[in-house]
Amino acid sequence: MLVLDRLGFRYPAATRRSLAGVSLDAQRGRVLGLLGPNGAGKTTLISILAGLLPVQEGRVEVDGVPLAALRAEAPTRIAVAPQDYAFYPMLTVAENLACFAAAARLTGARRAARVDACLATAQLQAFADVRAERLSGGLKRRLNLAIALLAEPQLVLFDEPTVGVDPQSRAFVLDAIRALADGGMAVIYASHYMEEIEAIADRVAILDQGRLLREGPLAELLSEGGRVLRLRAPGLHADTLARFGRVARSGEEWSVQLDDAARPAEVLAALDAAGVRPQHIDFGRQNLEQLFMALTHRSLRDAE
Amino acid sequence: MPSESLAVLAALIRKELLALRRDLHGLGALFVMPMIFIVLMSLALQHYYNPPAASLPYALDVRDAGDAARLVQGLWVRAHGEPRPLPADWREALRSGELKYLVVLEPGLSAALDAPALPTAAHLRLLTEPGIDGHLFNALRAELVGTAGDAKARLEYMSAGASPGASMAALVQAERFAGGAVRPTAVQQNVPAWLVFGMFFVVASMSSLFIQERSSGTLARLRSLGVPPALMLASKAIPYLGVNALQALLMLAVGVWVMPLLGGEALSLAGVDGAALAVVLLATGVAAVGLSLALACAVRTHAQAATVGPILNVLMGAVGGIMVPRFVMPPLMQRVAEWSPMNWGLEGLLVVLLRGGGLAEAAPHVLRLVVFGLAMLALAAWLFRRRGF
Repeated sequence: MLVLDRLGFRYPAATRRSLAGVSLDAQRGRVLGLLGPNGAGKTTLISILAGLLPVQEGRVEVDGVPLAALRAEAPTRIAVAPQDYAFYPMLTVAENLACFAAAARLTGARRAARVDACLATAQLQAFADVRAERLSGGLKRRLNLAIALLAEPQLVLFDEPTVGVDPQSRAFVLDAIRALADGGMAVIYASHYMEEIEAIADRVAILDQGRLLREGPLAELLSEGGRVLRLRAPGLHADTLARFGRVARSGEEWSVQLDDAARPAEVLAALDAAGVRPQHIDFGRQNLEQLFMALTHRSLRDAE
Repeated sequence: MPSESLAVLAALIRKELLALRRDLHGLGALFVMPMIFIVLMSLALQHYYNPPAASLPYALDVRDAGDAARLVQGLWVRAHGEPRPLPADWREALRSGELKYLVVLEPGLSAALDAPALPTAAHLRLLTEPGIDGHLFNALRAELVGTAGDAKARLEYMSAGASPGASMAALVQAERFAGGAVRPTAVQQNVPAWLVFGMFFVVASMSSLFIQERSSGTLARLRSLGVPPALMLASKAIPYLGVNALQALLMLAVGVWVMPLLGGEALSLAGVDGAALAVVLLATGVAAVGLSLALACAVRTHAQAATVGPILNVLMGAVGGIMVPRFVMPPLMQRVAEWSPMNWGLEGLLVVLLRGGGLAEAAPHVLRLVVFGLAMLALAAWLFRRRGF
């Protein structure tokens, strides 16, 4: 549905490009997770898709229609749920929805129906007459979500939609977004929370410093660490592992990129012989944090 | 404009009005503050335009028993009412303000008035309380000179006889000329002044919500929904022009109906050209809203909005003749005042409310206000696009 082809962007007076040659696509019924630290270019990418920044380099098309033409003709086909509480705190939930529904050019019975439907989707019916400023952080996130869905967009961009919410609300928001994709919507979910991306995304794109480092199905990316053995073993010396492959260490966490001839069982036997008792062993699958680290040689959290 | 866009505009205006209705501080600055200023300043300056020289508590110390001195005494009492008994400690009574002034008729006054020559020494002393207004002091001194001159003339022409009510004062007629039935009073000056001041205060409410909208990404959200920037700006300008109109109605009502209830003089709208008044008010609104929008687009933070707008307003008010009437300023400051948009609004209203002027007389002020307002709106639109959402 959405195709980004070598997208690039540089802010005025910036020394480096915020986006450089990013190529991606998002499909209906799928969640594309956009992972990267702050400053990776996620918000810039979303701002371009939202029509707030121009396409400087490359090409963006939705179903074959250039983004600028689509935004001029049907701007509400793409919706954004921004990172901030982008609504009016002094207005009630219902007043906010009515205001944004009108801004999305919904009229008459359809407007009323969409407001009711979005209240229901976000389970905000009981709070319809409550001023937005009096809502909890979780409820504010839900209102942000409800507003994004008013015009029944075909593509929704979520920018860090769970920042500052309790675990229960986080689970609700994630479930609701997953349900949108299952209902046929294309979803782009930008976050620096790896666990959320792992939980919700079908495909993942990893951005860092404006560049796309890796993009592919989640399962494929997670299985890329096929020949890497990770373990946590206090008292372990690098010499014990060095003969099996390339060794890296972070505190008590060790990882060995096994040579072709080496087998995990041999490593465990060597540990046993050295009197080392491993507390945790992981082989054949990595998480996104490890993938990011392997790609950038930095921790995702360090990069923020 | 297509009906779709009108519906968007209506929804955004409704949002603006709801936000304003729930902003008590903003409402206070827009409606209560100028009303309080009008009431306080009109009552405080009530006597500035009509000095109460004839009704001040005073005393006479007559130290000359001659006929001429008695004549002066009689003339003064006739014009200023009966004096208070001279207190033993009149110095303290003057210092404390219990007596506003004391006139001492020194020995030798009668001789000086009877002499066939003009006096060369002081025989009448005017002593006033320390805080008396300078204009009032001068008025009393001039009256005393006039009374003495009148007495001397009466003594000279006694043989020729004098008709009842004849006096030197009858020779002079003085009035503030307004060209119509409008009376120049403190209310007539203060209502336009503080109304203009209040109208420009829309900057505080407007920029406060604007910054909140921008920092929270709400403007960006509206933009991504396809709302054109011009519509966003119009949705702010229109309701605040309405606020300006409401301010004008309220302030005029305060002048007409509330001030008399508080013991002040009433604002008179008799003989006022209603159409000219409406046009001047609309032009002032355009200037105030244009400037407010430009400032709202220029500032970045709530702290900037909370300081820049009010400071600019106070400066424009101080320079522009709101706080200090322009006619009391020295010539240089009067020229500086001409650069303040508040002054254009005030002068336009004074032309209509005080001088009985119509559209033609108010046109120069209206033109300045409208050109300024439109230039500010253009600046706001440029800043809005340049600085993003």
